[in-house]
Amino acid sequence: MSSVAALSRAELEARLEEAEDTLRAIRDGEIDALVVKGRDAEQVFTLEGGGQSYRTFMEAMDVGAAAFDQDGQLLYANQALCALLGESSTSLTGAALIGLLDAVNQATFRRLLTQALHERRSAEIHLRAGGADRSILLTGTPLEFGVVRGVAITFTDMSEREQAAAAHESERLARAILASANEAVIVCDRAGRVTHLNGAALRICSESPIGKSFADAVELTFAEASDLMSGDDIVTLATSGMPVQGLEAAVRSSSAVTDVLISAAPLMVSGERTQGCVVTLINLSHRKAAERHQALLMGELDHRVKNTLTMVMAICARTAAHERNIEDFQKAFSGRIQALAATHTLLSNASWQNLKIGDVLGAELAPYATQSSGRITTEGLDVAVDPKTAVSLGLVFHELTTNAVKYGALSVPGGKISVRRLGTADGGALLIEWQEREGPLVTSPSSSGFGQTLISRSLGSGGATLEFLPTGVVCKISIPRYGNLQA
Amino acid sequence: MADPIKLVLYVAGETPKSLAAIRNLERICAEHLAGKYKVEVIDLKKQPQLAREHGIVAIPTLVKELPVPIRKIIGDLSDTPKVLVHLAVEGS
Repeated sequence: MSSVAALSRAELEARLEEAEDTLRAIRDGEIDALVVKGRDAEQVFTLEGGGQSYRTFMEAMDVGAAAFDQDGQLLYANQALCALLGESSTSLTGAALIGLLDAVNQATFRRLLTQALHERRSAEIHLRAGGADRSILLTGTPLEFGVVRGVAITFTDMSEREQAAAAHESERLARAILASANEAVIVCDRAGRVTHLNGAALRICSESPIGKSFADAVELTFAEASDLMSGDDIVTLATSGMPVQGLEAAVRSSSAVTDVLISAAPLMVSGERTQGCVVTLINLSHRKAAERHQALLMGELDHRVKNTLTMVMAICARTAAHERNIEDFQKAFSGRIQALAATHTLLSNASWQNLKIGDVLGAELAPYATQSSGRITTEGLDVAVDPKTAVSLGLVFHELTTNAVKYGALSVPGGKISVRRLGTADGGALLIEWQEREGPLVTSPSSSGFGQTLISRSLGSGGATLEFLPTGVVCKISIPRYGNLQA
Repeated sequence: MADPIKLVLYVAGETPKSLAAIRNLERICAEHLAGKYKVEVIDLKKQPQLAREHGIVAIPTLVKELPVPIRKIIGDLSDTPKVLVHLAVEGS
């Protein structure tokens, strides 16, 4: 008797019902796997058709891809999609995927799932995943999984493309900024080797600096620590994350030595790690020259003020010794100080440079007669002298003029004075002659006044000699050429 | 308190219908059988010999082991009323 014959009616009915139910389920596509009893054991055969191959294919794709059934349930997501969304393959469920989207993007996603059951469709969604805002292009196509219809969707991260385009543009901009900078800019990698530099830097670097260490590329010496510090030390500091600011140094290039202000900063491209450093070298040549000029001027001013005060003290003492009363002292002293002031004014107007003998003489004679009036003639006085000689000459001309006004050629209407260059004496001193004519009869003074002393002592190794000829005073002034003449 | 309903769901790896059956069973249990069921999921891809115990032919199949009589529901369990009828828990 067969095993079936042993079954009760109820059991047979139950088996029949199960058999019919199985057939119906297969017919209706409610199952997608069958168990077949083999020779030794049961084997399971799936009805997905190429179902397994679609997974293999999706897994091989670089872009994110997922399969959904016709109810919109997630069947499978590849590793690229898990990585894109920052989820593991076990945590990325349909609910998790939907949870990443806001209401608007959820609606877009669901619409695509429905439409792509019938035809290829694309849509863009925006979500935040893996710590970044992303724009994702979805492309859905119908997919048959054996008895099941569904949708395969690819997820293309547009933000990566946008970032790549932005990075490309950003690099172009960075290169343009580097090229446009006035200052020398040198970029080094973490090993301290030069990777980028601009035109200004190229001019002070050795030949072919790219790839060299910073110290080999730029020959630096530090004024305050010449033996203790090298260019590589600065680069090492900066690449380790410590900025270096405002060190003065000198750069020796093939053509010149340039004073520079050197700074270096860590190069942070992304994240926390430094990628190298950026060194800037600001040319200090003009500033250094200005500083040196200013220091020179300050020293010169100090020196001149002291000299002038000493001279005023000497004039005061000498004048007081020679004048008989306070009125005479005041007059003589004021006149001499004014002479000093007049020369200072000339010097100041000429920035203490290139003052000519004729100008100094003109300033002293101006109150009494102009050189164009015919009473005064000059010749060959277009010679520049240094400031010290100008001051001395000013005092000498003042004494001679005062004397001429009081006793000599300028004390009468027809008197004349000629001042001319006689030439040069042995040793290169320049000889100037002051000669008065047609004035009152001159007699030698009984005593030598301060004016006379001043005239004879004023010009250091040069000096002046006074002759009281009956026709008029003649004074020969010798100006030492060395160091005092500028032309 | 009545014995829990003991259910065994036979699936074949992660085929679409297997995944759908798991999802549907989770939903039905949560909505209609809260606290009254015990489910075992058997993957016949990994252990095909276990098909023998309940004579499984088509996958997915849900077997109600307890209370007797044993009943099989073949398919992805998307028809909820039919599943409830077979489990004899309708209105319970």
